[in-house]
Amino acid sequence: MKINAFSQVAYRQFEDDFRRKHDSTVDTPWSLVDPAKVSATYRDYLDNLLLAARSGFDGLVFTEHGQASYDMMSNPSLVASALAYATESEGLDVAIYPAGRSLGKAREPLRVAEEYAMIDHFSNGRLVAGFPVGLMYDAAVNNGIAPIDIRSRFDENLALVMRAWREKEPFTWNGRHSQFECVNIWPRPRQAPRPPTWLTATGNPATMKTCFDLDLGFNYLSWFGTKLTGPRIFGRLWDMADAMGRPRNPYQVGFVQVAAIADTDAEAERLYRRHTEYFFNCGPGGIAPGKLAIPGGIGIPGLQAIMRDPSDFGIAHELRDVKFQRLVDVGAAFVGSADTVAQQLAELCKQFRIGNLHLMLQFGSMPRELARENIERFAKQVLPRLRDLWKGEGFEHHWWPERLGGKPRHEARPQPTRAGVA
Amino acid sequence: MAAQLVATREQAVDVWGGRLKLRFRVAGKGTPILYLHPAGGLFFDPFLAALAESHTIYAPEVPGTSDGDPNAIHLVDDLWDLVLIYEEGIRKLGLAAPPVVIGQSFGGMLAAELASSFPAMFSKVVLLDPIGLRKEGLPIANWMTTPPEQLPALLFRNPQHPAAQAMFTPPADPEVMVKQTSALVWAIGCTGKFVWPIAEKGLKKRLHRVTAPTLVVWGEDDALISSGYAAEFGKAIAGSRVAVIPECGHIPQAEQMPATLALVREFLGE
Repeated sequence: MKINAFSQVAYRQFEDDFRRKHDSTVDTPWSLVDPAKVSATYRDYLDNLLLAARSGFDGLVFTEHGQASYDMMSNPSLVASALAYATESEGLDVAIYPAGRSLGKAREPLRVAEEYAMIDHFSNGRLVAGFPVGLMYDAAVNNGIAPIDIRSRFDENLALVMRAWREKEPFTWNGRHSQFECVNIWPRPRQAPRPPTWLTATGNPATMKTCFDLDLGFNYLSWFGTKLTGPRIFGRLWDMADAMGRPRNPYQVGFVQVAAIADTDAEAERLYRRHTEYFFNCGPGGIAPGKLAIPGGIGIPGLQAIMRDPSDFGIAHELRDVKFQRLVDVGAAFVGSADTVAQQLAELCKQFRIGNLHLMLQFGSMPRELARENIERFAKQVLPRLRDLWKGEGFEHHWWPERLGGKPRHEARPQPTRAGVA
Repeated sequence: MAAQLVATREQAVDVWGGRLKLRFRVAGKGTPILYLHPAGGLFFDPFLAALAESHTIYAPEVPGTSDGDPNAIHLVDDLWDLVLIYEEGIRKLGLAAPPVVIGQSFGGMLAAELASSFPAMFSKVVLLDPIGLRKEGLPIANWMTTPPEQLPALLFRNPQHPAAQAMFTPPADPEVMVKQTSALVWAIGCTGKFVWPIAEKGLKKRLHRVTAPTLVVWGEDDALISSGYAAEFGKAIAGSRVAVIPECGHIPQAEQMPATLALVREFLGE
């Protein structure tokens, strides 16, 4: 079992009426912030991820969002490179795991390929490369990609990035979304032919199928209530694995979970209630629905499936005003004593066959010291109880760097092409 | 959405080297009028029904918006492709003389692009609240990110207008509602491919090429695209006539149908 520290860089000091007056993305007024507090947020964020690395977590996971007050992370390669250097210089064997660069958003796919390759060298082969399609507000509104083109841009960019890493000789790329006379990136990644690669998604069957087709890891990032959405999304995933004749290897699957612990359940609620609500109300809850589901981004079958049954999105529509108890009830946040939370996490991972758990331990308005306390408690009191969850089942981790004990395999696998899989 | 008011038939034309069919809905009898639909797809409304009494209406559907053929949009990469596909499809109709073109909103932009690219293509051009220009100080709303419940007020000056009610009252049958809504959303996505993120793709440089007599009609209270653009089109197209209709939003042919119809008929010399 791989247990990673997951974090987003949220502005932590919005007033109580923020969620009523403002969205958390795209047009959030910069005038609301104190720039010094933004600087402090980045420092705390990096310090706390480094603390997680020192405390024994397996990897450090983060995302990409542009023009977002809940995740001021327009380019995760910047954070990845800082963490790669810091952990390498301290001799900390953790995975550097950006769950995004959004390839549906990227207009410079070769820059993505180059940056990831550089990070792989900074870390001496500890990069895990994540690629989400990208949220529509980010790809379409922030970066001007027509919603109907996001998926084809993702497919083409993924094929280009993986080929740019893999090819030994220069090649020409004549794509629909980009054209390059001579592709010959320097450097190629340290891990040959490529770092372990993951797609990050919210449950679209097309993305799941690509993961099985190309032997990539599948990350499900959702904050919509694990108990509501987990059975649907992971049920769909494993049914697809069966149908495609793939093993139900838990190491191919990653999941993010908000979690916080204290000495008792009551104490945990007292310490984390406010910060939990802040995260959901001012973070994902603050994204305008009209900027998340823009016409063209979802095809007719997907639209009809969602209209007939929107349950894939759990409590998404409640998040702007949701209260603590509701979040706990639907499993959007696990908050309690170490016993309570360790048990919930073990059940979650077993039920859905999750072999890579991304724990979101600093979230919302949580101040530096409380986040550090939470990270250290988890390392001591929860991690040891989850580590061996999949031991003895005979699976190997093919989606993890070799240097960190993974068994990547690249032989005779299909490769992505501009329009799909070859 | 109400049922179609006039009987139509399909005429599909092979275009794009045989890879694509441009599908026309055809109705009525008389001298031909080409009608280019707005972002939400083709709907034969009372305005078209009235014109169909004395004209044959040819209404091509933007690839991807035709029932049962949603993936056709993926064969059209950009606006230039779309303009060429329309030119080819219209040419292959084999009409005896250049037709009149009427375009609404997105269709108005497309009509203007065609008339700019191929000045001899149309005998007359009617633009109803066309998109296609963008100027500081003249606001344009993003209809693609507007929540559905706000669309009536974006498109109509009076959202209680019977035409608005007809357009936005969902069908009683939930399954019909799912199919109609998904088709509408997809149509907006398909047409959005050619105007995202800003519906200004160089038309201002090309409009001077329009030589066909042109009528520009605008709803004075258009909340989607300011009626200030009426004068901009008027200035750019030499000899064009501009009419701004009071008490009217983005869809004059629906909200002020008799006035719009009278303007168009007068312009056509009827």
